[in-house]
Amino acid sequence: MSGTQNILEVSDLKVHFPIAGGGKVYAVDGISFALPPGVAFGLVGESGSGKTTAALACARLNDITAGTIRLNGQDITRIEGEALKAARRDVQVVFQDPYASLNPRERAGAIVRRPLDLLKVGTPAERAARVDELFALVGLRPDQKELFPHQFSGGQRQRIGVARALASRPRLIICDEPVSALDVAIQAQILNLLARLKQDLGLSYLFISHDLAVVQHLCDRIAVMYLGQIVETGSRRQIFTRPSHPYTHALISAVPSPHAIGGASSRIRLMGDPPSPISPPSGCRFAGRCAHAQDRCRQAAPPLADTGEGHAVACHRANDPEVVAAREALIRAAPSG
Amino acid sequence: MTGKKLLSVRNLEITFRTEGEDIPVVRDLSFDLDHGDTLGIVGESGCGKSITALSLLGLVPSPPGRISKGQILFEGEDLVQAGERRLNQVRGNDISMVFQEPMTSLNPVYTIGEQIAETARVHFGLSPAKAWARAVEMLDLVGIPSPDTRAHDFPHQLSGGMRQRVMIAIALVCEPKLLIADEPTTALDVTVQAQVFDLFQELKQKIGAAIILITHDIGVVAQMTNRVMVMYAGRKIEEGPVAEFIRDPRHPYTRGLVSCIPRLRLPPDDHPAPLFEIPGVVPSPWELNRPGCAFAPRCARAMARCRTENPVLAPLGDGRAAACWLETEAAA
Repeated sequence: MSGTQNILEVSDLKVHFPIAGGGKVYAVDGISFALPPGVAFGLVGESGSGKTTAALACARLNDITAGTIRLNGQDITRIEGEALKAARRDVQVVFQDPYASLNPRERAGAIVRRPLDLLKVGTPAERAARVDELFALVGLRPDQKELFPHQFSGGQRQRIGVARALASRPRLIICDEPVSALDVAIQAQILNLLARLKQDLGLSYLFISHDLAVVQHLCDRIAVMYLGQIVETGSRRQIFTRPSHPYTHALISAVPSPHAIGGASSRIRLMGDPPSPISPPSGCRFAGRCAHAQDRCRQAAPPLADTGEGHAVACHRANDPEVVAAREALIRAAPSG
Repeated sequence: MTGKKLLSVRNLEITFRTEGEDIPVVRDLSFDLDHGDTLGIVGESGCGKSITALSLLGLVPSPPGRISKGQILFEGEDLVQAGERRLNQVRGNDISMVFQEPMTSLNPVYTIGEQIAETARVHFGLSPAKAWARAVEMLDLVGIPSPDTRAHDFPHQLSGGMRQRVMIAIALVCEPKLLIADEPTTALDVTVQAQVFDLFQELKQKIGAAIILITHDIGVVAQMTNRVMVMYAGRKIEEGPVAEFIRDPRHPYTRGLVSCIPRLRLPPDDHPAPLFEIPGVVPSPWELNRPGCAFAPRCARAMARCRTENPVLAPLGDGRAAACWLETEAAA
C-alpha cells in the first residue's frame, strides 16, 4: 500500500469566500483529484478559474469550506498547531513572484534556512549544512548566501524560492505559476531545474499555470479548470491527443504558435469573458461561451465522467460528431511532437 | 526627401543619466516602416524595446533620459527636433500607443465614453455630442457589446479584455497612421489575448494603420507581424521577414530565444527533452562600456574577435540582417 499510496488526495474540495453585502465567491466548487508519487500534476485555467485557490488550500493556506485533503494518507483538512507544522514539512510552495515572495531584509541563506527553523528540522549545525546543500542543488554559489534578494536577478531569486521550498525535504511541492513572472530565456532555466529536481529527488508537483505549453512540457497529468470546477482531466497523452472538452479545445487553440505564420483561420474563438464566480450559471458553466452549447447544457450541469483509463470530461456533447470534428480539426492544425 | 517611408529611424541613441554619467540604453538603432506594415520588436526585458517605442512619441522621460543622437523621421519630418506643440499634434493623430496594463492606463474617475470622446474633441474639435457619438462608434468597432450603454461604464466595471479594447478604441479614434502596441496582451488571459489579436488584424484591414508590436512571445510575432527586429542590450542584432526568422534564426541569441520556449504539440512528446538554455542574464547598461559583442559572455560560440570588436549589422540577403561575427565570417 505505502509504495503506491497517493501523495495527495483531494475530494470534493470547496473554497467559498464571503463577500461584503452578502453572497459568496464560489472560487473552488467541488473538485477531486489525486497525485501519485513522482508525478507532476498540472492545474490549468484562466484567471478566476480557482486554480491558485485550490492549490493553496492543499497547503492549508486558506480556509476550506468543504471536502477533504489527504497528504500521504493523513487527513489534513482540519488539523492545527504542531500537527499542521509536521504536515507542512511534506508540502511546500514555490510562489509566482520571486520579487514579492522573498523578505527583502533577510539574506538569501537565512531565507532558505527559515523553514528548517520554523518546522524544527534537524539540529542547528545540520541546518547550516542543509542550506549549503540546497544552494548547490539549485545552482547558486555558497558565497551568495550572504547577499540580499535585490542583489539577485529574477531567475536567481526563483532559485532561492525553490531552495526554500526544498529545505524540509518535502515530497510535494506546489508551484504557483513559478515561471510566469520571468523573462523567456530565464523560464527555460527554471523549468529545466524543476524537471531535474523532480527526477533526482522523486518529487511530486502540483503545478499551477495558465500556459499550456509549459504544462505540457513539465506535467504528467493535467486537470483543466473553469470557474471553480474541473472540466477535463487526464494524462498528458490523453489531454493532448484527445482533448475532449470544448473549453480545452479553445485553450489549445488560443496558444499563439510560432508555426502558424500570419495566424490560423481554424482558430476556435471564445466570445466574451468567463462569467462571474459570484453567481455561476446553473447548468454547464461554460455553456455561455461554448460554440456547441444546446438547451440541455444550459439546464443541467454535466458530471465529470470517466471515458476510460483516467481520462474524464464534463461535457454533455463530448462524443457528439460536431465536437469530435472540432477536435480533429484542432489536431490537424497543430504541430506534432 | 525620404520618399515613401512612413517611419525611418536613423542611428538613434537614447541615454539615461545615472550617477553623473550618460549611460546609453539604445545604441545606433536604425529601422524603417512602410505604410500598413507590421513590425515586431522582440527581446528580453531591459533590451531597450519599450524606450524605443516611447521615443517615437517624444515620451522619453527627461531628465534623466534623452535622445542624444539620431533622427526619427516620420513622413520625412524629424520628430527629435519637433517641439512639444508639434509632438502633441503627432500623438494620437498620427502615432498612438496601446500600453501593457489596461488597468493603470485608464482614468478611473471618468466613464470610458468620456475618455474616448475627449480624444476626439481635442484632436478633431468635435462638439461634445458628436464626440460622444464617435466614442460609441469606436466602442462598437472594437467589439464591445451594447456600446451605447457601455459607454457610461467606468473602467472598474469592465473586465481586463474589455479595458484593453477601450485602450485600443482611444488609440484608434483619430485613425493614426502608426499604432504602437507595447505588450498589449501580457496582462490578459490566453483566450482574451486571442480575441484582442483578432481585433488588431481586423482593424489593420479596416483602418490600414502600420503597427509596431513589442513582445517577448515568438508565437505572437509569428501570428501578428510580417517583419521582426530583435534587440539585445540596446542594439538591433537581427531583422528580417517573420517566416525566415522563425525557420532559420541567424544570431545565436535569436536562435536561443526561438528554441528555449516549450512549444505546444499535438500529439505531445511523451519524454520532452530539456529546454535549450541561454545561460546568464541580460547585462545592465553600465556593464556595456567594454569592447566586443554584448552577447559574447552568454554565447556558446563566442570567438576571440567577439570579445574585442562589436559586430556590425550585416545584410544576409532577402531583407535579412544579423550582427554576428560568425555570419560575417561565413559570408566572407
